[in-house]
Order: sequence, then C-alpha cells, then structure tokens
Amino acid sequence: MKAKLEGLFLPAIVLLAWQMAAQFARIPDYLSSPTAIGAALLQLVRDGELLNNLLISLFRAYAGFAIGAIAGAGIGLIAGLVKPIKIFFDPLVSLLYPIPKIAFLPIVFLLFGLGNGAQVSIIALSVFFPVFIAAEYAVLSVNRTLLWSARNMGAHPITVFGRVLVPATAPQLLAGLRVGLAHSFVLLFAAELIGAKNGLGFLIQDGEDNVQFDVMFAGIVLFAVIGFASDRILMAVRRRVLRGQTMGTQEVLQ
Amino acid sequence: MIESMPQAVPLSPSRAAPGKVFWCFFSKKNVFLSHYSIFLLLLVWELTVTTGLVTSRLLPGLGAVAAAFTADTLNGVLIVDAAITLARALAGFGLAVLIGLFLAALMATSPLFSRLVEPSFFVGYPVPKIALFPIFTFIFGIGSGSKVAFTFLECLYPIVIATDLAIKSIPQRLIWSARNMGAGRLTILRRIIVPAALPGIFSGLRIALPVALTVVVVTEIIGDSKGLGYYITVWSTRFDYAHVYAGIVMVGLCGFLLDQILIRSRARLIPWQTERA
Repeated sequence: MKAKLEGLFLPAIVLLAWQMAAQFARIPDYLSSPTAIGAALLQLVRDGELLNNLLISLFRAYAGFAIGAIAGAGIGLIAGLVKPIKIFFDPLVSLLYPIPKIAFLPIVFLLFGLGNGAQVSIIALSVFFPVFIAAEYAVLSVNRTLLWSARNMGAHPITVFGRVLVPATAPQLLAGLRVGLAHSFVLLFAAELIGAKNGLGFLIQDGEDNVQFDVMFAGIVLFAVIGFASDRILMAVRRRVLRGQTMGTQEVLQ
Repeated sequence: MIESMPQAVPLSPSRAAPGKVFWCFFSKKNVFLSHYSIFLLLLVWELTVTTGLVTSRLLPGLGAVAAAFTADTLNGVLIVDAAITLARALAGFGLAVLIGLFLAALMATSPLFSRLVEPSFFVGYPVPKIALFPIFTFIFGIGSGSKVAFTFLECLYPIVIATDLAIKSIPQRLIWSARNMGAGRLTILRRIIVPAALPGIFSGLRIALPVALTVVVVTEIIGDSKGLGYYITVWSTRFDYAHVYAGIVMVGLCGFLLDQILIRSRARLIPWQTERA
C-alpha cells in the first residue's frame, strides 16, 4: 500500500504543477487545465455524447481485436501442427509482418468505405500478425513428450488439442494477444482520426478543430483509460488462465 | 508492482529466410517451392487485374506498381521520403535509448528514485500514448519535431521497463562476489551489470525499434508534408493506387532494414547468446 502511494507522488506533482501553471502563469490555451478537463468530461457525460462515442470506439477495437485474434490464434496453432499450412503462411507472414499495417489504411478505406468496416478490418489485420507468430512459435516450442504421452494414452486428437496443446501454448499466446491489443488501440486512433464521424478519435479531432481543448483532452483521457483498462482485463484473464502455471512463482505475489 | 515484461514476438517467423532469399536463387534449395505462397499471391493479384475482375483503377497490376516504384526510386522521391522516415524513427529511438538507459541506471542506483518513478512507467506502459499526439503537434510543430518527440515517448517505455527488469534480475551473488574480490563500483557496473543486463535490455530494444517505425508512419499519415506516410496518403488522395502500393513496398523495405540492423547488432553485442532460429 505504501509503495502504491509513493507511486502516485510523481503524477500528483505533475497534475498540481499543471493546474498551478494554468491558474497563475500564462500557458498556451492548448494545454487547458486539469479542472477544465474534468468539467468537460462531466459535461460530455451529461450530454450522452461521451457514452455514444465511447461505445462505438470500444466496439471497433474489440471487434477488430476479436477477429484478428481468433484468426491469428486459429491459423497460427494449425500452422504449428500442419507442415503444409506452415509452408503456405510463413513466407506471407514474414513478408507482411515488418510493414506497419497502418500503411494499408488508404487501401482499407477504399475497400470498406469510411464506416465501421474499415476500422474493424484494419485493426483485425494488425492484430492477426503478432498473434499468428506467437501461436505458431508456441506450438513449435511445446514439449513433444506431452503430446506423445497424451496420444499414447489414447486421447482423441480434439482432447489433445483442448487439454494439452492449448494450455501448453497459453502463456506465449497471451503474450501475443497483449502485443496485438496494444496495436489495436494505435490503429483505432489513427483510423478514427482520419476517417470516422464518431468515436473517441473523432471526438479528439473535433475538439482540436473547434479549439475546444478541454474536450480534446477529455477524449485523450478516455482513450487512455479504455486502452489501459483493456490491458488490465487481458492481464486478469491471463492470471486466471495461467493460475496453475504461475503457482509458486513470484508473479502470484504481485 | 513488478509486472512481467510483455514478451517480444519473434521478429519474423522464419528468421533465417529473408536474409537468405537472395542467395537461395543460386543454391540447390528451391526458393520458388519453399516460398510458393508469395508467388501464388502475386499470381492471383495479377490475374484478378488482367481478367478485369477488379478494375485496375482500384487494384493496379503488378507491372504498374513496379513501374511506379522504380520510377520514384530512380528519381529519388521515394528514397528521400524513406530517408526522412528512417531518420525520424532512428532519432526518436536513439534518444529513447540514451535517456531510457540513463533513467534505468538511476533507478538501479537510487531506491528512492526507483520507488517514485517506476510505477509511472509500469502503469503507463499499456496506456495508448498515440492519443497524446495532437498535443505534441501543438508543442513541437507539425514537422519532424513532434514525430521525433513522440517516437521518443513511445520507445522510452519498453526500454526503461526492460532495462529495469534486467538489472533487477541480476543474481545478487554475482555483485557480492565481485565486491568481495575487491571490485569498485565502476568495475562492477562495467564488468557485471552491463553484460548481465544486456540480453534483457536488448529485448526492450527489440520491442521498441519496430514501434518507432510504426509510430513515425502513423504520425506522417495523420499529418505531414514529408516522409513515407505522407507519400502514401498523398497518392491515395489522388486515387493513384500504384504509387500507394509502391510506398507500402518501401515501408516494408525500411522495416526489413531495421530488422536486419537489430539482428546484426544483437549478434555483435551479445555473441554469447544467439537467437534460436
């Protein structure tokens, strides 16, 4: 508890200095002030504008993440098991992986228009790659003895998949999912800023265009909160899924 | 509050393959067979264009993309934009390495500083910092300043966290033994802490460098008049998708180049720990 309080020290100083500077010194308008941002947040909540944009952004991020994660994990796991599929996907992934997926944004807008489809698909595309690679590597690094023993004891292939392979690959898979989740919020922001008529990215852009810097900051704060909260949720899932594997290690003590 | 460091995903799935592609043409291993899916994809692309399944205004043929790429490479436009993008990415990344290592070293030497600063880094890491970019453009201007500053911020987090964790996980007995044998603080830093922490530090760099390129391209797409991100945006607003694809190819080449720099320098800096292929 004491350690947590100490950690709040630095952010508190920054906030206080910011507020003081806004109050007593002349700082540029675009820096707004913490109280003004808080007021703008409250106002947006009352208007209902906030909830709408928040839900739309969350929908885009999670839908894109889910599609990319399911496709990446599914194909990645299979590619780790089936050689021909690995040979098919590996060259394509190694060709496309180093390209920041954001570069495809104009193409995606062309294909899907400026609606949700474009945002969801660009996010799915960027989530796919880290998850695919993590899943494939995870399968390749599974201790073969585990698979052999399960098969030797007469386990059905589906049982082997569900009871041996998935748990054994879970840690690496979740690491890939975490990277993918971080990607999805970067892509969400860029895609909403450039081509959307709603969502938090649009709210931020709109606040900037209309010189309502408190609204812009309110959007930024919320964007940070949903990104952070999503990561916490994934980490909570991870702790639960890996309960058995992390037992007795330092991670439990957090 | 010690959080497990998010693992870097391997840089590319078949690590040995990309660098060797060129030589495979001359070796007995048939690169066309082992990479047939790439050629299949290109073939399908070309066929959909030539059969008129998709109009060539939306999906240009491979020849048009290649022509756009070679033309803009030869007249230097793409080269200049790529150099600008790479320079921004490397500047932000380099600054983050310098300041990140300095901060992590401070955290290692001063427990008080560590207790005050560490939570901000660990909690701040998963926060999507991209939303702060509009403020950066106000403070640092729309040009290179805001891009480099923002890339610095994005790269700082993984580098500080990885270095911090790497230093913390050095077995204390190594330091005790060195001290026992009469080593001074500087010797301990140079001969024990730096070599022992280097693999961990490198895993942070491995996360940060691709992030640097992505962030620069993203911010150039959002708003600039230079760089590969701008190149792609400006040609897409002119509905000239051959040039858009040419820009994407160049971004891919930059990513590949950074990837290679990482692999080479890793082999150089940490020769005792080679990456599993």
